[in-house]
Amino acid sequence: MKVLEIENLSTHYLLGQEIVYAVDGVSFNIDAGKTFGLAGESGCGKTTVAKSIMRILPYNGLIAGGKIWLDGQEIVNLTEEAAKKVRWRKVSMVFQYAMNAFNPVLRIGDQIMEVIQQKERCNKEIALEKAKSLFKEVGLEVSRLRDYPHEFSGGMRQRAIIAQALACDPKLMIADEPVTALDVIVQGKILDLLNKLQNKYNLAVLLITHDLSVIAEESDHVGIMYAGSIVEMGDVVSIYKEPLHPYTAKLIGAFPSVVGEKTKLEFIPGAPPDLISPPKGCKFHERCPFAKPICNEKRPEHREFRKSHFVACHFAGELDLRK
Amino acid sequence: MSREKILCIRGLKKWFPVRKEFLASIMGGEQKYVRAVDGVDFDVSAGEILCLVGESGCGKTTTARTILRLIEPTEGSVIYHGEEITTLSRDSLRKLRIKMQIIFQNPFEVLDPRMSVKSLVGEPLKVNNLAPNERKFEEYVLEALREVKLTPPEDFARRFPHELSGGQLQRVAIARCLILRPEFIVADEPVSMLDASIRTEIINLMTELQHLHGLTYLYITHDLAQARYIGERLIVMYLGKIVEKGPMEEVIQEPIHPYTKALVSNVPIPDPTAKRKRIFITGETPTPIDLPKGCRFRPRCKEPIPRCDREEPELQQISKGHWVACHKTSVKLKGKEQQ
Repeated sequence: MKVLEIENLSTHYLLGQEIVYAVDGVSFNIDAGKTFGLAGESGCGKTTVAKSIMRILPYNGLIAGGKIWLDGQEIVNLTEEAAKKVRWRKVSMVFQYAMNAFNPVLRIGDQIMEVIQQKERCNKEIALEKAKSLFKEVGLEVSRLRDYPHEFSGGMRQRAIIAQALACDPKLMIADEPVTALDVIVQGKILDLLNKLQNKYNLAVLLITHDLSVIAEESDHVGIMYAGSIVEMGDVVSIYKEPLHPYTAKLIGAFPSVVGEKTKLEFIPGAPPDLISPPKGCKFHERCPFAKPICNEKRPEHREFRKSHFVACHFAGELDLRK
Repeated sequence: MSREKILCIRGLKKWFPVRKEFLASIMGGEQKYVRAVDGVDFDVSAGEILCLVGESGCGKTTTARTILRLIEPTEGSVIYHGEEITTLSRDSLRKLRIKMQIIFQNPFEVLDPRMSVKSLVGEPLKVNNLAPNERKFEEYVLEALREVKLTPPEDFARRFPHELSGGQLQRVAIARCLILRPEFIVADEPVSMLDASIRTEIINLMTELQHLHGLTYLYITHDLAQARYIGERLIVMYLGKIVEKGPMEEVIQEPIHPYTKALVSNVPIPDPTAKRKRIFITGETPTPIDLPKGCRFRPRCKEPIPRCDREEPELQQISKGHWVACHKTSVKLKGKEQQ
């Protein structure tokens, strides 16, 4: 069952007289119980996709086109009042920088209860009971509900944030760089916890990270974003084993591993384009070692090259990407 | 290894005093310390890349800064080419710093946004009076920029930090350090702030420069996978102490210390078909203030033996150049000897 469907989403930021085309025609779906990994480098628009789904774009951001269905309900055209009802109850978000996501002068328990009371319109006792069970769920001691954020370590804060995200039994959880600032051992524990919760509640998870190693281990499907668009999308094994887009291949090749043979690590010369005036043709052509004249002229279509394996490249399947 | 040892670190300690609470200071309570670095020994050979890994707060950055005396050590000795540097005067230290440089983690914070690339890269020359005249100064700066591949150098020299990308900024930081022709460089997480697609470019540049100038690096990182691609030897730290050190591939493929084992098993692998089993260790890293007696990993260790409660394990050599600080390995070693 599809929990999230995004069709041709475009989100822009207004910057004075200029427009930043942050997200440009993104489409993907997530089924219940599945994880979709959205990968890409800083500034490629991953977080903007998440904020569009949550409808929490900053004042100068606007959804310029496309549709988002959440659990069957179209949410792009909802009023702010109606969007509030969807937020937390159908979709919740685990934010990047767990360190700063809580208000430092309020007790963690009170902040979690606030969400429950607001959304479920229940009294304090019920909210407290729920908060207690959430804390148990994420492996925190119930007595620590009375602690302030500074009394928690990074891993514990991340657990508390996950507890808060689960507060209203959402269908979709967006995890934006959930483990980036954490040490590897803590990182492993948090990912393990996310997996357990996902299985238990049949959650759909949108995992956003720049770390392709984490995506490889946690996702069912993967979308690789570059300069506001998804350049390649498919199930995790075919993306990693048979990448079709030069950017995907290079990016995967840039990640070192502790196992297997030591191969030469790749890098991509140059920098991503300015999204105020993105290049006319393929947005990657300036950095692409295989670029031909057509890449400069015509934007490649997002097409289904193999079954459920989408790519936006004029020469998909014709290139020897191992070079 | 037959290579000359350029740096010998012995019993290096850095304890930071903890501010006493009001009552404790009246009652004359005991002064407590954060034992950030608590007795570290290792050598650095000429021309090698030595990687120092560990989780945040394990003391890896403090170790490096104490070696350069950016922080004064509490105890221990650091011998650079036979010269004890923990007792050097400020003047001699300044001369020595020309040979020992550091690259910091965050190039966005290191470089003064109001200075041009030319003055940023040339600043070390000015500070050390190494440029006889303006023409030479410019020549050195342009050469340093060319070395870090910021071409055309004349163009980059005129720019300001906000006009450069993260990768380019880190190149400026490297040029700034290379211009003094150092011999030993501490690189403190030099690429962790950069995107994956440009990390390799910076790492490649650093290794190229190493071959070109015969540099020696102490490379600090929290990323074991990255360490594997850069270094020849690995040191793993936990709570201010070295728990394991040895040849890179040997330590990563066959870790001995339970902490190293857990660390390696938790590094994510960029391959969806690779199956790994994460080894979890319970609890969180304690603060290095009230350390447990005996082995400091004991409270989180899965298979402690009684001795771990009483004695702190020393580093023991288990194979050529591979050292581990764990009582269980020493038990095994003894068993082998008796056979």
